[in-house]
Amino acid sequence: MAHTSAAQSEPSGSAPVIEVRMVTVAFGGLLALRGVDLDIMPGERLAVIGPNGAGKSTLFNVIAGDIAPTAGKVAVKGQDCTYRPSRHRPRLGVARTYQKARTFDGLTVRDNIYLALAGHARRHRALWRSSVDARMRSTAANVAETVWLAGQLDHPAGQLAHGQKRQLELGMAIATGPDVMLLDEPASGLSRGERERLIEVLESLAPEVTLLLIEHDMDVAFRIAQRVVVMADGETVTAGSPAQVQKDTNVHRIYLGTEATA
Amino acid sequence: MTVRGQLTRRNLVLAAVVVVLLALPSLATAFFVNFVMTQTLILGLAAATIVFLAKYAGMTSLAQFLLFGVAGFMFGNAALEAGARGLNLGWDAWAAVGFAIVVTTVVAFVLGAIASRTTGIYFLMLTLVYAVIGYFVFAQIVEISGPGGITSIQRPELLGPPVRLYYAGLLLSVLAYLGFRSLGRTAFGLALQGVRDDPIRMASLGFNVALHRTLAFTLAGFVVGLGGLLNVWWNGQIDPASISIGPTLILLIIAVIGGISSFEGAWLGAFVYVLVFTYLRDLPLIDRIGITEARFNTVIGVIVLAIMVLSPEGLTGIIHRLRGRLERPAAAAADTSTGGPLPLRKTEKEFGGTRP
Ligand SMILES: Nc1ncnc2c1ncn2[C@@H]1O[C@H](COP(=O)(O)OP(=O)(O)O)[C@@H](O)[C@H]1O
Ligand SMILES: [Mg+2]
Repeated sequence: MAHTSAAQSEPSGSAPVIEVRMVTVAFGGLLALRGVDLDIMPGERLAVIGPNGAGKSTLFNVIAGDIAPTAGKVAVKGQDCTYRPSRHRPRLGVARTYQKARTFDGLTVRDNIYLALAGHARRHRALWRSSVDARMRSTAANVAETVWLAGQLDHPAGQLAHGQKRQLELGMAIATGPDVMLLDEPASGLSRGERERLIEVLESLAPEVTLLLIEHDMDVAFRIAQRVVVMADGETVTAGSPAQVQKDTNVHRIYLGTEATA
Repeated sequence: MTVRGQLTRRNLVLAAVVVVLLALPSLATAFFVNFVMTQTLILGLAAATIVFLAKYAGMTSLAQFLLFGVAGFMFGNAALEAGARGLNLGWDAWAAVGFAIVVTTVVAFVLGAIASRTTGIYFLMLTLVYAVIGYFVFAQIVEISGPGGITSIQRPELLGPPVRLYYAGLLLSVLAYLGFRSLGRTAFGLALQGVRDDPIRMASLGFNVALHRTLAFTLAGFVVGLGGLLNVWWNGQIDPASISIGPTLILLIIAVIGGISSFEGAWLGAFVYVLVFTYLRDLPLIDRIGITEARFNTVIGVIVLAIMVLSPEGLTGIIHRLRGRLERPAAAAADTSTGGPLPLRKTEKEFGGTRP
């Protein structure tokens, strides 16, 4: 298909950090993804936009290993990960957030971030409290500060407001210093102030960090992203720089048209 | 955590309870100590493993009583000499203890591994199936359960006098209680609570969810196996009927009476259960109102129903709320002089298992 090649990034010499090849996902009779092709280069800032039900979250789930594709292939850093479950991703430097915040509501903010660190360090089963654990708990405090949750460090995550939960999710994703971050609508439901802070955190990431962002908020998407991929009906429709995509009449028709009927 | 942090009112009350229990043999009758309290400690220890799995891992297990029985049967088979029922391996008592614990732990590992991919009601049903199958295994393979059970089981000489068995129960109960409580703050305990709250998120953070569930179930099996040994020593015998569905449900009921997410509740629930079964018949006029021995289960059922309606958190929840009601006016009065109701909030947090 002609439009899928548009989703490839401009060649930059190095190998892609994430390769999505002809990925199809079927939920029963529903095709959530129809042969999606996508290459993401190291250090790229990519926004995926598109109407609800376009398949954006499903694409993230496939990349992150939460669901295996019905057909096609996914590789992370050159390693085939198509059927590797999600728990192997942190070792490859991949971290993610979910569209609907998934925090551990019975645990404190500190322990939520601690678990992100422990999962990455593969320290899961110690039955004692070690100095490594103590260090990770103090790192958790630093991370909480980065996402403006220092005051809530010992509050149960279940008691956080919606925006704070999103900040916690972001903290859990950035805690381990991942090379690749997948953020599913991090700005949804945030206040204007919280949104500005989110942009601030994302802009402060090291340049070599690869960032994939699903975002409905065009302001956030276009400020962060170098490249924007537009999805509709399980396919990538267009890709290009924020300026190109904003001008694209095709995008306006698909995106705004569907928005209007939704 | 600081020493002051440990000095919460709850810990002081618990320490006082342990002191009383230590002195109990010189305070109470031998019957109360060796019958009521030993049984309470044994059942409490077993119920605490249900609480452990439910509170930390979100797994409600009906297989704990089966594992309890496995330990008892294995000890009986290994320790008895030829001529008795069962396998009559005739081993040294402590070798038999080791054997029973190893077998119970291995069985728990295998059963846990099979159940580790299920959650919620499916896990409950699967462990119920374990309990049913386990009962039939012991009922039908008479080589390992001795036709009609294994009888005349002696306890190791060290635990000969009944009061020593009481102290063994107390020691294991205190160790299990402290162990389970502090486990919540370890890497493993926190990971289990993460698995309870959101297994999918845990997997994407790099955790092997099924392995964590399996290890939790194995640990619970190990502890309940210790309880099973105490039980078979206390009873002096074990038969398949003692691990049938009835006793299995009673253990769950004990955990529910006490409060399924509170470790102290496990022993509290066991105490209430044993008290009812021991003393209900002695109450004056009790048979006149139609409560005969055969109807004790109905009474227990009504008590459970009442507690669950009044407080889903069981007796510990009721005590907690009463304390809150008693203290709140006092705390408000103290507000001007001291830091206000802060100490109360602190203890409330602890009960929720979210202590920092
Ligand atoms: N687990 C699932 N089971 C069945 N259908 C699903 C599932 N997840 C997503 N879908 C469907 O797949 C389509 C794409 O969903 P999604 O990827 O969440 O879209 P987006 O994130 O772009 O809004 C939708 O029609 C949605 O209803
Ligand atoms: Mg989505």
